[in-house]
Amino acid sequence: MISIQNVSKTYVVSKELKVPAVHNVSLEVGQGEFVVITGRSGSGKTTLLNLVAGLTRPTSGKVLLDGIEVWSLPDKEQSLLRNQRIGFVFQFASLLPTLTSLENVMLPPMFGESQDKEYVKERAAHLLEQVGLSDKLESYPRQLSGGQQQRVVIARALMNEPELLLADEPTSDLDEVTEHEIMDLFRSIHAETGVTVLLVTHSAELGRYGTRSIQMAGGEIVPSATPPG
Amino acid sequence: MNLIRFAMRNASGNSARSWIVFFCAALMAGFVIASTLVIRGANDSLRLALDRLGADIIVIPEGHEQRLKSALLMGIPVHCWMSDTIADDLAALPGVAAVSPQLYLSTLRGATCCSVPEMFLIAYEPETDFTLRPWLEENLEGGLALGEAVGGSLVYVPAEQGKLLVYGYGLDLKGSLEPTGTGLDQSMFFTFETAFEIARLSSEQAVKELDIPPRTISSALIKVDDDVDPHQVAAQISAEIQGVTPLETSTLFQGQREQLLSLLNSVVALLGITWVLTMALIAVVFSLAVNERRRHIGVMRALGARRTTVLQSLLLEAALLALAGGVVGIAVASLAVYLFRPLIMGLMNTPFLFPAPLPLASLGLGALVLALLGVTLAALIPALRISFQDPAISMRE
Repeated sequence: MISIQNVSKTYVVSKELKVPAVHNVSLEVGQGEFVVITGRSGSGKTTLLNLVAGLTRPTSGKVLLDGIEVWSLPDKEQSLLRNQRIGFVFQFASLLPTLTSLENVMLPPMFGESQDKEYVKERAAHLLEQVGLSDKLESYPRQLSGGQQQRVVIARALMNEPELLLADEPTSDLDEVTEHEIMDLFRSIHAETGVTVLLVTHSAELGRYGTRSIQMAGGEIVPSATPPG
Repeated sequence: MNLIRFAMRNASGNSARSWIVFFCAALMAGFVIASTLVIRGANDSLRLALDRLGADIIVIPEGHEQRLKSALLMGIPVHCWMSDTIADDLAALPGVAAVSPQLYLSTLRGATCCSVPEMFLIAYEPETDFTLRPWLEENLEGGLALGEAVGGSLVYVPAEQGKLLVYGYGLDLKGSLEPTGTGLDQSMFFTFETAFEIARLSSEQAVKELDIPPRTISSALIKVDDDVDPHQVAAQISAEIQGVTPLETSTLFQGQREQLLSLLNSVVALLGITWVLTMALIAVVFSLAVNERRRHIGVMRALGARRTTVLQSLLLEAALLALAGGVVGIAVASLAVYLFRPLIMGLMNTPFLFPAPLPLASLGLGALVLALLGVTLAALIPALRISFQDPAISMRE
């Protein structure tokens, strides 16, 4: 499903300052896998995720999604691909503060091809119910706890029934109990829907939730990473 | 949820900055409509006043030029007299097509025999008149009879009185002329016959007698032949008839027109400065607003929003604030201009006609479109910058 081929990414801060974030990374992720990428801050995990999603252009190398090179597509098709095939869960509070939980979950269809309004609303409500927030449909993000907000974000990520779920440190701001609740949620979503999951986290311990764990350091994949028992 | 509703939510969610953009839009639109109303109103007023006079030249006794202008523009009565034979002398001049004499009178201020405050009264000679005749023919068959009058748009009869008392004489108000915004709106017109009747009876009915010196007129209105230059006729009058001043109506309000032009230049300059400053402020405020929301804009892109969708939502947000601010600005400015008409007229020393609802609506629409364009243009650069930024960069701290 995902084919990362010798990809490097260097951020150009100024003429003199160039920050290499990912260096010559190659990785294959198959359909239905749950891959957890672990590594310390600055190891290049988030950049790798952004490269997969087409949110940033690689300095060199190729990223293919089902054989399609994301950056070869024009903006319209690239956006549609993200909208229809990829779900995102971010590290930071990514809910739009002016919208309710339900409206936040209904956002992806708004940016994509037109869908039946009633269906969209029903599906959004159903997803919120699935993540245990059926009583928070009309709540604004500020009225929700960190864990509840991440559940809304997960529901939003699933809204367009994506084939690929990308999660960037989804539990970094949560307490230990909530962290495991959220990771359990990812695991059950993966099991129920068969969606391919690529999750990055600084916590090596969370690697056990995936079907495969990869470690990154210094912008490269550490070869010694072992699959979870 | 659609893009408009989404933009509205975003606008309402960032209240302080939205208010600033709202007020800037209100200022832009309000300034445009207020200055347009004042300048256009003054210009229309002068034009209509000239149309109302319907003459090419007004001949008055020497030394009364300024007072006549004040009478026509502001409704301040003027009293001046010259021999009625001058009308015949004028009619005999080559190039003169028609001459019609008029008497300039006024009501008494604070007198019980006059039901209106000091008002400019104009008596005309029906046989020679060519200024009121078109209106009279269209609106009153047979013209005005003895004891009848027509008034400017601001003249009305108090309901309990039924007639307008002038020197104790009850006048029937038969109609009102179209508004001009000038002193003519507060003036009243009747025939020579009515004027002399009022004067005759005033010794018995009024607290003070209306004095019309015998065999005199206040002015003579002249229409020249089609192929004749009024300026040449005016020059001839100056040369051949002593003690009078011919005023060409085309240049009658030249001073006011020059003053208006000067005002227009100042307003355009001020408008330009205000717009540049306001647009710069909107651009800064909008830059701050989008910068503050840059992560969420990155999220939108990650969720599949196209660059153009992000751009549209940001510009829509600006446009909605511009529309709301523009409508309020236009309403407030129009109301202020309407309420402070007398003050504006006093400050500008020129008449001023507030437009009818339909022209007002089209002017308002024009001002709204300008404010919409101004605000959207000011928001365009920050909106473009963030829309085309790499989403991953937008989402970084």
